[in-house]
This record gives sequence, C-alpha cells and structure tokens, in this order.
Amino acid sequence: MRAQVAGYRLRIEKRVETRWWHASLASVLAIVVSLFLLGFAFLQAGADPRQVYAEIARYAFASQFGLPQTINRAVFILLCAFAFIVPLRAGLWNIGLPGQVYAGTLAAFGVVYLFGGKAGMNAALAGWLVIPLMILAALVGGGLYGAIAGFLRGRFEVNEIVTTMMMNWIMLWLVAHMIREGGPFMGRTAEGEGFSLPLSVRLPQVLNVPLTAYGAVLLALVLLFFLGKTTLGYQIRVLGHSPAAARYAGIDTLFISTLVFGLGGMLAGLAGYHYFAAVPGVYKIPKSYGDFGDFSFYGLITGLIARSHPLAAIPVALFFGGMAGGARFMQGKLQLTFGIDYALLGVLMITMVAFQALSEYRLIVERAPTPVVLPLEREESRVESPHH
Amino acid sequence: MHSVERGQVVLEARGISKRFGEVVANDRIDLQLRAGEIHAVLGENGAGKTTLMRILFGELQPDEGEIFFQGQRVRFHSPRDAIQLGIGMVHQERKLIPAHTVVENIILGHPDTGTVLDLSRAEHRIAALCERYGFRLPLQAKVWQLSEGEKQIVEILKALYHGARVLIMDEPTSVLSPPEVERLLHSLRTMASEDLAVIPFITHKLPVVLEHSDRVTILRRGRVVAELETKQATEQSLASAMVGREVTLQVERIEVPIGEPVLTVDDLWARDDRGVLAVQGVSFEVRAGEILGIAGVAGNGQEILSDALAGLRPVERGRVRLAGVDITRVPVLQRWKLGLGYIPTERRDVGSIPDFSLVDNVLLNYYSEPAFSRRGVLAASEARALTGQLLREYSVVAAGPEAPARSLSGGNLQKVIVGRVLSRRPRLLIAALPTHGLDVGAAEFIHRKLLEAKRAGTGIILISEDLDEVLMLSDRVAAIYEGQFTGIVPAAEASKELIGEMMAGLRRGRL
Repeated sequence: MRAQVAGYRLRIEKRVETRWWHASLASVLAIVVSLFLLGFAFLQAGADPRQVYAEIARYAFASQFGLPQTINRAVFILLCAFAFIVPLRAGLWNIGLPGQVYAGTLAAFGVVYLFGGKAGMNAALAGWLVIPLMILAALVGGGLYGAIAGFLRGRFEVNEIVTTMMMNWIMLWLVAHMIREGGPFMGRTAEGEGFSLPLSVRLPQVLNVPLTAYGAVLLALVLLFFLGKTTLGYQIRVLGHSPAAARYAGIDTLFISTLVFGLGGMLAGLAGYHYFAAVPGVYKIPKSYGDFGDFSFYGLITGLIARSHPLAAIPVALFFGGMAGGARFMQGKLQLTFGIDYALLGVLMITMVAFQALSEYRLIVERAPTPVVLPLEREESRVESPHH
Repeated sequence: MHSVERGQVVLEARGISKRFGEVVANDRIDLQLRAGEIHAVLGENGAGKTTLMRILFGELQPDEGEIFFQGQRVRFHSPRDAIQLGIGMVHQERKLIPAHTVVENIILGHPDTGTVLDLSRAEHRIAALCERYGFRLPLQAKVWQLSEGEKQIVEILKALYHGARVLIMDEPTSVLSPPEVERLLHSLRTMASEDLAVIPFITHKLPVVLEHSDRVTILRRGRVVAELETKQATEQSLASAMVGREVTLQVERIEVPIGEPVLTVDDLWARDDRGVLAVQGVSFEVRAGEILGIAGVAGNGQEILSDALAGLRPVERGRVRLAGVDITRVPVLQRWKLGLGYIPTERRDVGSIPDFSLVDNVLLNYYSEPAFSRRGVLAASEARALTGQLLREYSVVAAGPEAPARSLSGGNLQKVIVGRVLSRRPRLLIAALPTHGLDVGAAEFIHRKLLEAKRAGTGIILISEDLDEVLMLSDRVAAIYEGQFTGIVPAAEASKELIGEMMAGLRRGRL
C-alpha cells in the first residue's frame, strides 16, 4: 500500500519480525484510542470526558467501596480470560464462558444443597469440608460441561464456536429452572433468586478480599508455567499453530482439544464459584445472573488484548473490572444514558482489531523521488517496430 | 503481428537494481533477450530470478535501471503495460479460475472480449494456436479437471492469445512428467522459431537447460555472474557458476550389504481428502540399507501413500509391517517409537512451525521421549543442546537455536528437519520430496546425509518428482502412476526413458 503526500511517499510494509513489545504497545494504544473515541460520546451526552474518566478512576481504584468491587469483578474477568486463553492456545475458540460459569456455579451450590445448606443463613455446616467440596464441584461441573465441546470438536470436527454458544442457552435456562419458583435452589423470598449461602460456608477473606483473588493470581503463574514449560503445554501450542504439524508429530488431537476445553471449563466454573459464592454481598445466584453471563465475555476480550498471556491479562482485567463498576457509578452520578460501559466494549473491540493488524505492519515515510518524464505515455505504449 | 528479425534484441534490461530493505535482490543486472531464442536464467533460490522476472513483467518497479523494448525505453506501471507490449508470463502458481472452462479462462481480461461473448470465435482462434504449437487440450473442459501440466498449457495459451511475443516462464518443468517436458520444450522450440523470445526461468534442472536453451544467464546473489551460449557450457560449469564453488553433482553411490526387510506393504489402499481412492493396491518391501526410489509426477498418489505409511491417513485396505510388527492401525507416535522417520513434503506447517524457535521445532519429534520430558516438564537444556548440535553438524545458517524457524531459508530449514528426523536413527525413513525447490548446494548436502543413513542400515523410501535424483540415489526404482506402481526396477536396469514412460503410465514393468 502506498500514498504520496506533499513530496513524501508513505508505504505500509509487513514487518519481517515482530517483537513482543509491538503487541503490548498495540494493546495499550488500542485502549487509549478507544477511551479517546468514547470521549466524543460523553461530549455528546454533555459531560466533560476528562471529568468522566477521573470520576471512574477515583471510584474504581481509590474509594473504599469501589476498590473491593473492582477487584472482585476483575478476578471474575481474569478467570474467564484464562478459560478463554487455554483453548485459544490450541487454536480453539471458547465462546461457552457463560455456560461454563453457570455449570460450575450450579455444581457448587448443589454441594451446599446436598449438605442441607438451603435451610437458612445460620445452618451450621462443616465449612472446612463443604468449601473445598464446593470449589471441587465448580471445577468438575464447569470442566465436564466445557469438555463436551472439545470432545465433539476433536472427534467429529464439530465447530466449537457453534456448540459452545448453543450450550450457553441450555445452561441459562437450566439455572432459571433451578432458582425460580418451585426450583430446588429457590430462595426463601421466592422472588426468582437462589437461596443464600449459610454463613458457615462463605469463603474467608484476607484484607477484605476473598481467597479466590489470591488464587487467581497464583493461577496466572501456574498457567504461564503449564503452557510454556510442560510437555502438555507444548502439545497445546503445536496444535494451536498448526494442526497438520500436530498430526505429523503424533499429538493426540482428540485428547488435546478435550483437555483444553475441560481446563477452560474448570476455570470458568471457578469464576462462577468466585462471584456467586465468595464475593461479599452476593453469596447466592441472583435474579440478574444472566448479566454475569454477559459479563464473562469481558474475559474473552481480555484474553485477546493480553494476547493469550496469563500475566498480561491481570492489568487488563483490573482495567475492565474498574471500568464496569466505575462507569455504572459515574453514569448515576453524572446522569448519563445507560449502557455507556457496553459502548466502551464495542469501541474497544473495533480498535483492538485495527491495532492488532497494525502491529504486524509498519509505516515507512520517505522522500518521494523526483518524477521521471516518461518517453511513453500509457495510451501510446504500443511500440511500432522499426521494421514496419 | 510485427515481424522482428531473428537475433534482434527484443527486450533488454540495463543496470536493474532492486532492494527490499537491507536485501539487495537485484544488483545492476543486464539482460538481453533476442527474438527466436530460448534464454534460460539460472540461479539458486534467492539469487534474484523471481524479482528480475517480476520487474520485466511490470509487477515490481526497479529502484534503478532501465528497460528497453525493441530499442525504446519503456516504463511499466503494472503488468497491463507489459502485456500491451506483448510480454506474457506463466507464473509458478496458477492464476486460473477452476470452475471456468479453458476457453473462458483464456479470454478473460482480453481487450477484444467485448460485452457480448463470442465464445465460438474465440475457441476457433485458440484451437488454431494449439495446432500451430502442438498443444493438445480439451478446450471445453473445466480447469479443475485438468492436470497440472495441462493447466500450465492454459497459461501459455492465455499469454499467446493476448499477443505475447516474449514469454516469461517460472520453473515451467517442475510439474511435468518427462514425456510432458519433452512435448512442452518441443512447443517452445516452435514458438522460438517463429521469433518469439522465450525465457524459461529454471533453477535446478540443469540437463533441461543444456538440452533446450540457446543462451544462459546465471545469477548469484542478485548479480549476473555469467552469460554464455549454451553450447559452451557443461552441467558442471553451470552448477559451479550458480553456487560459486565446485559442486559434486554426482554423489558417490555406496554399496552396503542389503539386510532384512524393515517395511513390508501388502496391497495398500488409501483415500485422499476428497474420498477418492488415490492409492490402489500398492505392494512392496524395503530392506535395511536399501533406498527404494518412488518416481512419479505430482498428484499421482505418492503423498497419500507416504501419509498412509506414516499413520497420518487411515488405510482403507491392506497391511503395513514395520520390522515384522503390524502397524496398519497403529497411531503415529507409536510408529515413531518403533523406528519410523518421516520427512514430509510440506516443510512449513507440517515439518515445522514457522513461529516456533528451532528448539521447539526440534522437539516436534522429541517431546515424548523420556530424556526430553521429565515428569511432564520439557527438558529445555537438553533440547537446546541437541538443536545446537544439529545446527553445527548440518552447517545450518541461523541466528541460533532460539531463532524462529521462519527466519531460515528453505534449504536451511530442510536441513534442520532432516537432521531432527535422522538423529532419531530411524529403521525406516520416508523422505518425501526431500530436496524439492532447494538449491544445488543444499540438495547435495541432503543427498549425502541420506546416503550416510543408508550406510548406517536405515531402509529409505525416497519419493521424488525429480527423476535424476531418484536414479542417482536409489537401489531400486518404482514408478507410481494414478495410485498404482507401474513397475519396480533395479537401479542397474533403470534408464531414464524406461522410468519416464512408466511415470507417464505408457508402459508397465515387473512388480
């Protein structure tokens, strides 16, 4: 691609080699540019973008009420990002985050239900046993639900995007069935909510943050090691880069695709456990559980922005966690139209795609050579033979 | 048509230079193409042939230098300008529409086509061209039904139909069987005698250059290192000029005692991706220390055969035994552990992963070995040591073990792949087109390594489209045609003519 502007020639060339910081820079720039673009939406709504962003930042990261909320949402997003990253490393797209979140949540609450925890807030359950079992159940539930799509992909080459999306709907309505009037997980108020967790099985907190948050950071390191240094991680990466090379190397593609979706489902299930069973003020499957399914897709975009890097996903998840809570707060305070946080997501998606492509190219600016006067113009470029 | 005197310079390049970033692809190149001559441009990969050709066809603009057409300076803004002057090009990769007929493809883009198609008039003109130059082609067939060789003829006809008087051809013989090569060159000769300048750009088929061209220009690292009449050249002198040092074209055959069978194949059938039976009842055996060459034109089932033997494709019927063990339905990894080694046709994306480091690429054949995977964790230092050793042993030009595979040239990458597979000391090696598209130096190196493996007792299946290579290395030669062996001949009895005819399905030998 080339263009000529005022004596300079602009060219866009594909980079011969890309360095890691090209990708990071592209991601940071994408966030900055989309915040800038979104600024126009705020101007349109009659608010000063600088004030808006300052409000969001102050609420999300510097207020006593907002910061824990930011962290809790960020942990949910981060775990969903991991759930997206692991299959993506094998070249597979996990669009089933909501379904796997719900599957893990239902399994965790199922444990409490079996132990009779539905009886009331003060039911005395053995927390040391039930809490680990809940976490285990969330992992198994999410993992099994996720693995189905991976198995279908590996065995029958069924497109995983389609299966995971359809399986989201199955779980959405299964949750509804479980918590609504007459459902086994129905809460006492019968207002379409699930039952509240007894105090005895709520996950302990350290420094006002549930233990799952620390677990998520630890998981980032574990995943980094798993994907980068282990034999299984290697096989996952080979499959992700070239299925043909994976077959050549004798990698069991059915096993690997089932495995990555199983692991992805486990991580999403854990995200469900975290938000519904470990975050103060929630401790139940709320009526608005569907919003959290949608919210899990922040994990998808986080994984993309972080370029599938588990550690890079942490700041991105914090950013979105803060944006989501802060935007809602700011929207109320400055009385802006609803949905401005979703608008950000949309704008960010588009700029991300543009910047990702851009990071593989580079712009070359050079002085244009003086135009050569051609002896032949296009119309008369047929040369008559001198022997004619 | 304008008449041009024989021997007159039709197209001339003077001082053409072209840089891509740091790389100088063409460095002050002079080239003169005369009417009525077949002019071969020889050079290794990366010598700048393709760049020069694309400049002459207007696809690239030179940084410096001038192009003259019949003595007048011209400048091509795009291939359209070149086509208007009568320059045609036959690309290595086909630029045809598979679902359209031959005639429709040929007239596509012709200025006289008009709004209402007059296909029958066009067909008559094309049929006349075919007759004149001795091409046989079903004009009403859809392009997807044609063989690779026939598709190439369509491209040539298209250039002629659009009035080409200079025909640039990129590696025109690489997809053809020996009899097809003969026919094509005969047609080119006819064209040349009618005062077309024809330039086949050929890399490694030196015998073809010697036999059929009038003049040769040899490029090395972007420069013209020699321009001479073919009469004055020998195969050895051309190869040395191309590579820049003495090369031994004939590797020395070594006689080693032939041992027990390592591979026995009985009545093997397998399907291709479209479900067509592409291998139909092939039977043979390979013994320790023996090279069985399988010669065939691309697309006659050899790829399906090698994939089926390596376990990448299910076997429809028949039996495969590796050193006595039935491996017909054994998974790939298990076959490698039993002593199979496979050098696949596709170097990138099958044999290697371009984005991976060389260490990670070497691990493709090692990740499951106990020495390289301890309690599920990859042994990074062992893998790096092995990679470093391979890079030295195979004199691979690379920035180091951590360099990404895509930074390597085709020849260096193939050395890494061959080295990785051979370092496992396989009992049976399947080498599918191991030197395809490589330059003389790298090909020679790989030939030597195959012979070393043979000396060490490895049984080798050498699949190649290059008949010279097969005849030079093999102890026995099989020809494959439409999924069947048309004969297996001991090297002593295998002449080029015999195998060539068997490859084209014109003749059958003993099996």
